[in-house]
Amino acid sequence: MRWLGIVIGAAFLLYPWLVTDDFYARTGADVLLAAIGASAWNILGGYAGQISVGHAMFFGIGAYLPLLAYSHMGLPPVAGVPLAIVISLGFAIVVGLPTFRLHGHYFSMATIAVAELVRIVIGNWDFVGAATGLMGPAVSRTWLDLSFRSPIPYYYLFLAVLAGLLLLTWHLQRSRMGYYWRAIRAGERPARSLGVRVARYKLYALLLSAAFTSLAGSLYSLMVGFIDPESGFGILRSVEMIIIAALGGAGTLFGPLLGAVLLIPLQTVTNSLFGGGGSGLTYIIYGGIIVVLARFEPGGLLDLWRRASQWWSRRRETVTVRHAA
Amino acid sequence: MKRLLVASILALFASAAAAENVKVGALYPLSGNAASAGAQTKAAIELAVEIINGQHPDVKGMPGTGLPGLNGGKIEVTFADHQGNPSTGQSQALRLIQQDKVTALIGAYQSSVTFASTAVAERYGIPFVVGDSVAANITGRGFKYVFRVTPVATDFAYNYLDFLKDVAATGQPVKNLAIVYENTDYGTSIADTLRKVIKERGFELTADIPYNANTTDVSSQVLQLKDKKPDAVIFVSYTADTILYMRTLKQLDYRPPVVIGDDSGFSDPAFIKNVGTISQGAVNRSAWDIGKPGSVTAKINELFKAKTGFDLDDTSGRNMQAMFVLADAINRAGSGKSDAIRDALKVTDLKPDQLMMGYKGVKFDDTGQNTLAATYLIQLQGDQYVAVWPARSATAKLQIPYKGW
Amino acid sequence: MTFIQVIAGGLLLGAVYALFSSGLTLIWGMMNVINFAHGEFVMIGMYLAFLIVTYLHGGPLAFGPAATAFLFLLGIIVYYSLIRHVIRGPMLAQILSTFGLALFLRYLAFFIFSANFKTLPEDLLPGVLNIGGILIGVPQLVAGIVAIVLTVGLHLLLTRTAVGSQLLAVAEDRQAAMLMGIRPDRMQAIAWGLSGAGAGIAGALIATFYYISPTVGESLVLTGFVVVALGGFGSVPGALVAGLVVGVIQSLSAYRFGPVNKDVVVYALFVLILWVRPEGLFGKAGA
Repeated sequence: MRWLGIVIGAAFLLYPWLVTDDFYARTGADVLLAAIGASAWNILGGYAGQISVGHAMFFGIGAYLPLLAYSHMGLPPVAGVPLAIVISLGFAIVVGLPTFRLHGHYFSMATIAVAELVRIVIGNWDFVGAATGLMGPAVSRTWLDLSFRSPIPYYYLFLAVLAGLLLLTWHLQRSRMGYYWRAIRAGERPARSLGVRVARYKLYALLLSAAFTSLAGSLYSLMVGFIDPESGFGILRSVEMIIIAALGGAGTLFGPLLGAVLLIPLQTVTNSLFGGGGSGLTYIIYGGIIVVLARFEPGGLLDLWRRASQWWSRRRETVTVRHAA
Repeated sequence: MKRLLVASILALFASAAAAENVKVGALYPLSGNAASAGAQTKAAIELAVEIINGQHPDVKGMPGTGLPGLNGGKIEVTFADHQGNPSTGQSQALRLIQQDKVTALIGAYQSSVTFASTAVAERYGIPFVVGDSVAANITGRGFKYVFRVTPVATDFAYNYLDFLKDVAATGQPVKNLAIVYENTDYGTSIADTLRKVIKERGFELTADIPYNANTTDVSSQVLQLKDKKPDAVIFVSYTADTILYMRTLKQLDYRPPVVIGDDSGFSDPAFIKNVGTISQGAVNRSAWDIGKPGSVTAKINELFKAKTGFDLDDTSGRNMQAMFVLADAINRAGSGKSDAIRDALKVTDLKPDQLMMGYKGVKFDDTGQNTLAATYLIQLQGDQYVAVWPARSATAKLQIPYKGW
Repeated sequence: MTFIQVIAGGLLLGAVYALFSSGLTLIWGMMNVINFAHGEFVMIGMYLAFLIVTYLHGGPLAFGPAATAFLFLLGIIVYYSLIRHVIRGPMLAQILSTFGLALFLRYLAFFIFSANFKTLPEDLLPGVLNIGGILIGVPQLVAGIVAIVLTVGLHLLLTRTAVGSQLLAVAEDRQAAMLMGIRPDRMQAIAWGLSGAGAGIAGALIATFYYISPTVGESLVLTGFVVVALGGFGSVPGALVAGLVVGVIQSLSAYRFGPVNKDVVVYALFVLILWVRPEGLFGKAGA
């Protein structure tokens, strides 16, 4: 198992040097960015089991603040990142407290509605660029603008953030907090009767999740250098996080990463192969694959991996047993 | 003898090397909400490339046709679908640049994607010709590789009000105006300039109605108009909403005296096909006019119709024009090198008779904006649009007031 | 006068929302599945109407039942081939599968019909009624009335017939229903069929006054979610009332506060109601 981890880790570290051009490097960066977003969502949606379909609001806040700092004050976009996180946390508290009283689909629906509200308001607010959106510095003024020609610096920036996020998640999942989250996911009433302070731990999960989703948004706008209401706050942004996490395996450490590694290249490759034809084949294939995976692997692909490795170790055991006999 | 042979072989090699094809990447929304416009544009660009590569010798006068400057080289165009997503636009631009080795780009319909993908082109030093995105600040960002052929919002606003002034001169009262516009960058950027110009020219704005695109129902907007009774209404709408507006006008039995549509939805071939019979007399902005039978534009339209079953519309036409502008630059550059194409674009100087669109010419300023871009106003009469304004390019008489159904 | 006109328009629109949403709420309440592809079912109903009008020269009496029957079948097929397998899995798998299905169907239509907008000819249900100065399009009126009749019919089907009570029994307690000899699988398939049929007829009705495009379902489905949650998951009468309420609110707020703000008002109201009354207007407490 350990050698596998090392190989995969090394592959991520070396990837930009293994591929031949910037397009692949950019796709790699897109994968990591999607993995950060999905992993951040996973803290609340996967571990704590609160299926938010409104995480785009945090992503959008994260994406807007850096470009606001640039376009209104001429600051390097990166200066807006901490403020974005603070605002996202404030937002999480204001929205989260009343919304957490809702359960299951009601919670999901309320989060959709709040995110859509925010999207519409942003789209009509001239200070934040209204419907047109905001631009970043197209040509770097100083290196602080983090506006690079090559996608490789972004790739490593994203990799570092993702590693930090996964490390933190790993730590939390083994802590008391992770245990409480799993208890809440299994059922709030039993969790409460076990003495878990449900409201508090749900809020902790939301805060962490919001902060990192906001960071994902900031990283997006640092790389793309442009944001508008649809690409920041659109419902597809929320759905993408969910799909990626669910596909890989929600509530698992590496599920979102696995989902991103499969889904983003799938999207990019089908689009590159068929998109130019303009016949819609891209989404027929993409949608079809999502359906098939959900149908045959409802627990996510990591589940398949787990079963496969169990099968493998059982087989090895029987082989060893037979040898011993 | 031997020397001659060697020389001729060398010459053969030289010409073979010179006859290299030039690869152009085209970024358009081929899926998603704008896919209908994207598909038309794709067909138009394909047709432009066929004409440029000399497959339709009966279409004469377009610049760059046959590409003599390339010594037999051709233009190859590769399409990519950006899905209306700025990030996808960037990554597909990268793919075209790095994998398909295109040396020039054209695109990208939605202004949001144009913003994002021109930044990539700029960083890689690839000239990007913008055919139809109208948001003001696409040019003026200090980019050296972005060239925009289309007129922008300010141009349209002045056109409309000049037109309305001429209408007022005929005795039709035109004082109180209404603008109804969809609420993304396209609609708001045009509405913003309209508002300014309306005030500047001494007209009244009696109704200012923004709405969300792809809305399920537009009857409240129409009822507001019906209450305010403006002398003219300007719609800035995409296709879906345009269809709904025209049907709702009829359903609520309201005929504004003058109906002006700002291109987009009114120019989509689906507009005439689906609601043409109930939108008689709608005035539309267009730099495209089919023209008299036998004219170059009429021939282009014939070819387009044979290919798609639709008449060519303004949106596709402006992109097609952009392709000709790019071809002209490639031809003059005599090579597929990005910097050479860029330098050639910079000194572009096309006259009206070298254009398929009704611009006064193509000449780029320092920001890359075409300073000679202009537009006609056309009116739906029967089953097609005819040019009605300005008087010098009119092919039919303006019919006022709006007839509808 | 205009005020009444606005309300009339809102009610007619709301009736169609109600029909569209009643199928959504049925399966949502019954088996706790959100169908993201419900808007695409409507879209298919619209294209069926288009095909029948264009190639078979049929009218509303032909394409209405045809769309209903076809979507009923499609609902059952989707249930047996997909939903049955994810229904007891995690909620996320359900979101994933129906979302993927939505994309698949949307772009299948795109592939077949291209992205060009289509409409049905004006003369299918021609005319505008003038009732004391209130103008109501015949297609909208027909759609509104049929939608209300069908929604009420669905409610009666659920509450007054054997099949209906079996359906509700499965929704209430799957195990107990099985012990009583009801086959939950078959009942759930029927629920999907009914849900699809509702979407199909809604599509056929809307097609008479709306445009048809592959992405048309997208703009409907969010409104459907709001209606379902507002009315209470699983409650058909709830969907009916909530649909009408949402239709009227949209029209009124579009007229009063500007069209841009109509969804702001709807969403804000929705969030407020959820916060105050989490089970929806007609839902069972503790749901």
